[in-house]
Amino acid sequence: MANLKSSLNLRDKGAEYWERSPKWRRVALAIFFIAICYALPFLNNPLVNTPGSDFQSVLFYPVGMYVLMAIGLNIVVGKSGLLDLGYVAFFAIGAYTMAILGTKTSLNFWEILPIGVGLAMLSGVLLGTPTLRLRGDYLAIVTLGFGEIVRIFAVNTDAIGGSRGIAGIPTPPDVFNAKFTILDPKPYYWMLLTFTLLIIWMVRRMAARRPGRAWDAIRQDDDVAQLMGINTRKYKVWAFVLGAAVAGVGGVVYASQILSIVPDQFNLNISILILACVVFGGIGNVWGVILGAVLLAFTPERIRFLSQPRILVFGIALVVMMNLRPDGILPKKKREHFDPDWHTVEESGEGEIK
Amino acid sequence: MDFALLHDAFWGLTFDGIALGAIYALISLGYTLVYGVLRLINFAHSEVFMIGTFAALVAASGIMGVKVEDDPRTGVSMILTLIVCLVVAMLASAITAVLVEIVAYRRLRQRGATKLATLISAIGVSISLVELFRIITDSLPREFPRIMEKTFLFSYAGADVRNDKVIVIIAAGLMMFALERFITKTRLGKGIRAVSMDENTSTLMGVNINRVITVTFFAGGLMAGAAAFFYILVYENTSFKVGFFLGISAFTAAVLGGIGNLKGALFGGFALGLMETWTSAVFGTAWKAVISFIILVLVLLIKPTGLFGESIQQARV
Amino acid sequence: MSENVLELKNITMKFGGVTALNEVNLVVKKGEILALIGPNGAGKTTVFNVITGVYKPTSGDVVFQGESIVGKKRFKITKLGIARTFQNIRLFGESSALENVVTGADVHSKTGVVGSIFGTPRSRREEKANLERALELLDFMGIKKRAGQLGKNLPYGDQRRLEIARALATNPKLLLLDEPAAGFNPAEKVALAETIKKIRDAGYTVLLIEHDMSLIMGVSDRVAVLDFGTKIADGSTTEVQNDPRVIEAYLGAPADAS
Ligand SMILES: Nc1ncnc2c1ncn2[C@@H]1O[C@H](COP(=O)(O)OP(=O)(O)OP(=O)(O)O)[C@@H](O)[C@H]1O
Ligand SMILES: [Mg+2]
Repeated sequence: MANLKSSLNLRDKGAEYWERSPKWRRVALAIFFIAICYALPFLNNPLVNTPGSDFQSVLFYPVGMYVLMAIGLNIVVGKSGLLDLGYVAFFAIGAYTMAILGTKTSLNFWEILPIGVGLAMLSGVLLGTPTLRLRGDYLAIVTLGFGEIVRIFAVNTDAIGGSRGIAGIPTPPDVFNAKFTILDPKPYYWMLLTFTLLIIWMVRRMAARRPGRAWDAIRQDDDVAQLMGINTRKYKVWAFVLGAAVAGVGGVVYASQILSIVPDQFNLNISILILACVVFGGIGNVWGVILGAVLLAFTPERIRFLSQPRILVFGIALVVMMNLRPDGILPKKKREHFDPDWHTVEESGEGEIK
Repeated sequence: MDFALLHDAFWGLTFDGIALGAIYALISLGYTLVYGVLRLINFAHSEVFMIGTFAALVAASGIMGVKVEDDPRTGVSMILTLIVCLVVAMLASAITAVLVEIVAYRRLRQRGATKLATLISAIGVSISLVELFRIITDSLPREFPRIMEKTFLFSYAGADVRNDKVIVIIAAGLMMFALERFITKTRLGKGIRAVSMDENTSTLMGVNINRVITVTFFAGGLMAGAAAFFYILVYENTSFKVGFFLGISAFTAAVLGGIGNLKGALFGGFALGLMETWTSAVFGTAWKAVISFIILVLVLLIKPTGLFGESIQQARV
Repeated sequence: MSENVLELKNITMKFGGVTALNEVNLVVKKGEILALIGPNGAGKTTVFNVITGVYKPTSGDVVFQGESIVGKKRFKITKLGIARTFQNIRLFGESSALENVVTGADVHSKTGVVGSIFGTPRSRREEKANLERALELLDFMGIKKRAGQLGKNLPYGDQRRLEIARALATNPKLLLLDEPAAGFNPAEKVALAETIKKIRDAGYTVLLIEHDMSLIMGVSDRVAVLDFGTKIADGSTTEVQNDPRVIEAYLGAPADAS
């Protein structure tokens, strides 16, 4: 327990250090961490070795992919408080777009990517617009159903390969010197990392501005949010659609790496695992979510030597963790702001309004 | 599409649908009871059901010594076997449900954790139980020995009425009746209703919340256990995955009727059982889940709180 | 000057068998402080809920600045210029005080999600303007030093003040305050009365629900009285004070019985 407490302080100290740092130091720190992320495939350390699977592949899938999807789902669940249990559907839509267009047309990866993301977003609108007025638990079952429906549809539609899925998906064309081949997961990892960083940047901007406040309000008290003039329906659909877009990116990239997909890869377990990443890490906080995704994706690979009971261990770990830290490992900051401007305000007591 | 099949075999399908619906209804009662008092989807309820099927299996082969290759039993021995299997399944599920509450929910509830954290905790229990049984059963389905000869009692309008399904429908009806009595007539049952309506006030009025919650899980578990035995009696096999499929349907049924509402769960269970059986005849079993889903979404769009509405009062501002 | 900001016309509101409001007529004039009083359960909060679109009245009409707003979406009503506070405080507890107020100020922003992602000049401008307005309002309510604290961590009185700041941030034509002085000590009540007057003098129209008679007599321009969902009096403070029906409603006996 003491350990957990001190880790909490570390988190606060870290955040405080960051907020107090001048701009140049922030930039330097960010560049340093990003460089480390890009260099990860070259890491060769017995601690992170993944017996039974290639470490570089594990970095791409599941680790990188879970991180990306957890960030996307966090917009839906963490920011706006909508319980989505069928997130895998948007991932599947991205992957199938890549698979179908990649094998049936001459479009390449970069041309298909926006189409896949667009279709994922469109399905987000189509599912979200009618269902987002439903209360939390109803939304959960409807999204869960949607996730299953997309899979069942794929299994039963022979035109898209039925249960055998689609094989022979083309890899992306080379970018500079990076060659995308099944043999080398590194370029895929770097591409995924680039997308992830881009998305983190976007999400952080939104979170600090009007949409972030609107989502905060909706999550905390939907009725009051409406009474404060927020078009809650619109912002919920946006959250849904942005989450779908992120999963769509993941799906397109994933399909282009794995070369063949089958419907059963896109099962309910993926949705639940990604949700677990979000909640486990610390709902609402993007760094916590990333940490959660890394842990939940990496640990089962790391303990692959346990082969049989590893999912069992995973399940038990979930229960124990949630009981010990219900807000996740790195919860959203609950501390007060450190901004010096607010700390030292002089109370005039004589304020005027317009 | 095969409307001819639906037309020709309508009464037979309807009868099967009612039997399936009775099983769904029993499971969905557990979802609805727990939702009523905790306002939470008990994600591990499907595993409460799964464990019931294995308990019935153990009771039949272990306690009563029925082997798969044996001839079905008859007379007193058969009745005794049926009852023992039913009781064991019910108790196993009920005890599992109570343990699930203690492990997955209690601490989080007392700490005032968020809904999502509690949900993940329950999902963790669910994953652990599924995995445990996957490992124990070596990922293989298990066959349930035939403990009674399955005969057709009579035919009506081309429908063959099979004895085991008749037993299931009647027994399930009795269970539901008993539950209804328990909720409306006993002190503990009234406690459950009070907490479902307003937790704060009922605490003030001296209802012991912990006790009420334990009893709620126990009662839901009993129903799921009965469903488990009926399921295995009719379909004669089970696997570690059985909870997943039945759980989703039963939960859909609860939502369809209006979660938190006992009548709604019953109605939703039967409605879903019938719809699944009918539409499977027309579109093939592959599309069964798709059709249930579409019906659910349509119902919710027209009536956002399910067919019978929630028992919860409208939120005030 | 006596232009009507808000008119309730024959509003009836039924909840199942309970008639919370019965044929209520009420007029709020521009620039006044109208107090709405009545015993517990009289239907005062229900009036607010009907005005802000939380409930759709069973019958009757709500006219705001010449336009019927019955059946309009809640957020649209707020955008039109009605803002409120809540009897049982309902702040965004996990957001800072400043964020609470900026959320209110966002109402009239034009920037949407896409603009915020790309940080368009308009988005930057609006963010800055809303932040400044929020800080001004916190200062006005005397809680600027709380700006960075989470809503739920504020002391009780400051939570009530923060709710007023949040409502003012939406720049309302009509401000609805539901028992803003509940739980205040006499000194705090006096200060609050001053603040409410200042709000009126800044050009806002205020509809105020309150139980404390001295506060009401001190601030309000007019008083309307509800009892069991029916409006039983409406007029200047002195008129209402001497109205036998009001005295009966409050004391439960005819005025001349004492
Ligand atoms: N959503 C609702 N459902 C059922 N009854 C309601 C609802 N809202 C209000 N009521 C009833 O309407 C009546 C008026 O309630 P209201 O809250 O408007 O009273 P009030 O004048 O604000 O009282 P107080 O001074 O206690 O705040 C009460 O009898 C209350 O129980
Ligand atoms: Mg009130």
